Amino acid sequence: MADFLFYVAALVAVLTALGVVALKNPVMSVTSLLGCFFSVSMIYLLAGFQFIAAIQIMVYAGAIMVLFLFVVMLLNLGTDEMTDQVEQHIGKGARAKAGIGVALAMLVLSLVAALSTRFDGVDPGLAENGNDPVPALAGEMFTRYSLPFEAASVLLLATAVGVMVLAKRHRSPRPASGANRETGGAA
Amino acid sequence: MNVPTEHMLILAGILFSIGVAGFFLRRNLIVVLMSIELMLNAANITFIAAARQHSTVGDLSLEGPIFAIFVIAIAAVEAAVGLALVIALFRRKQTVSVDAVNLLRD
Repeated sequence: MADFLFYVAALVAVLTALGVVALKNPVMSVTSLLGCFFSVSMIYLLAGFQFIAAIQIMVYAGAIMVLFLFVVMLLNLGTDEMTDQVEQHIGKGARAKAGIGVALAMLVLSLVAALSTRFDGVDPGLAENGNDPVPALAGEMFTRYSLPFEAASVLLLATAVGVMVLAKRHRSPRPASGANRETGGAA
Repeated sequence: MNVPTEHMLILAGILFSIGVAGFFLRRNLIVVLMSIELMLNAANITFIAAARQHSTVGDLSLEGPIFAIFVIAIAAVEAAVGLALVIALFRRKQTVSVDAVNLLRD
């Protein structure tokens, strides 16, 4: 039963991933990617990684997809932008040919690599017992991997500041310089 | 679940290839960013498959899930910065097409 569910989830993941690339409307692409993330999360759950599955739903489906949807809605791309460019929503020319070539090469390479390697069977009790107990995960994360953890936190802080600077609306400098002069005079 | 590791790796390979194809084929910058998310997801599936392969019930291999968590954090950072760049580009050029960003060409 779990095996069957894995193949169903894998099929849904591949189909929705194709939808992300092929659908014209960006809102539909975002929705398709959401379906892909949910089916990937189901695969994690079936493999016994409950915590990773929960993180996948919370961070990817909850935060990142909302961010994408927010930007699509903010820029109002569902209507004009796309209907004007329907004929070129999938590119043509040298870049498209190179892209298809690289993608097919990656596909063949990964298939050959996966099929030519001999793996021993996995421990059948893993999925029932859980593969990522949170206490063990936290123990590793805050001892052995504490430096990458702190680096990730600094990176997140820098990102928050950087995104605010990048997306800020730049105002004309005239009133600001006037205000500076006034405060300078008062001081 | 007794699915062999090969099949999880094949799934990851297919998803990664779809992401690469979308990255090169699409011209909408937002969809390009989503293709990158797809590729990061495929990388996560390989981490999970490898962790599952190298674990037994008594002796779990925790490197895979921990690296998956770091990859998810990096994906969030990448999405935030990329979408901020998209917004800045839209303010300046009123478009989100990759072809509009050609200031450094030649």
